[in-house]
Amino acid sequence: MKKHWLETILKELHSEAYHWSRQCCSFDDDRAKDVLQLVYLKILEGKAVYKEKSQVKTWLFSVIRFTAYEELRKEGKNTSLDHLADMAYEDDHPENDSHEALLQALPERQKEVLLMVFYHNMTLEQCAEVMQLHIGTVRTHYDRGKKKLKEWIEKTRIEK
Amino acid sequence: MRNESDREIQSFFDQLKEKDLKIDIPVFPEPTKPSGINWWIPFGIAASLALGYFLWPQQKQDFNPPAEVIIITLEKDENDNQQILIEEKTYLETWESPTSSLLTEY
Repeated sequence: MKKHWLETILKELHSEAYHWSRQCCSFDDDRAKDVLQLVYLKILEGKAVYKEKSQVKTWLFSVIRFTAYEELRKEGKNTSLDHLADMAYEDDHPENDSHEALLQALPERQKEVLLMVFYHNMTLEQCAEVMQLHIGTVRTHYDRGKKKLKEWIEKTRIEK
Repeated sequence: MRNESDREIQSFFDQLKEKDLKIDIPVFPEPTKPSGINWWIPFGIAASLALGYFLWPQQKQDFNPPAEVIIITLEKDENDNQQILIEEKTYLETWESPTSSLLTEY
């Protein structure tokens, strides 16, 4: 019964889960598909278990994020979730002014918080659960990310 | 409560969402329901046994005893000359106990 219920919710969240997977994989479609496939496999094999402590969406986003970084680490593209560069690109204006390029230029955690709040309509508390960070830390990433992104959006508008 | 700055960022993400609508989303993988028993396995074993039974070379065993037997004996006559005696008997008449030799020899 519970399995069937979870399957129905996963089906409903599939589209959003795919977009989140894509965002965690630096907007790479192929890698996003692989990551999502791995996530579903983990759920099916019982390696990722939903314990009803949070919303299904929060739990699913957390599994996707973890799996995406696990895959990146295997490829040697990143070290671990705890070592995501917060200082990177702090003052660099992205060369490309597309939406994706602007987001990619943000530090990883700032990008994640902004995407979860503005794209996936999640609260900062839910972001903290997904990222397994203290709410205060999440709020800091959120404020810094917003400030930086706003600067770049305005700069891009002026250049146009 | 979202301020002016937030609205600008929200508009940025709304544009991104609109762009993302054009992306092909992979189909949700439907889990295959495992069938309780794979009936092909026992059915295959039964079919193989049946086929083997019919194709195995069968040896017909003939249990019918011979109707008649010829007994050839070598005996001495009155003059101490050996002669051959040939008798024809039915199978049942010639039955001999396996221990009969004990009676004659000892």
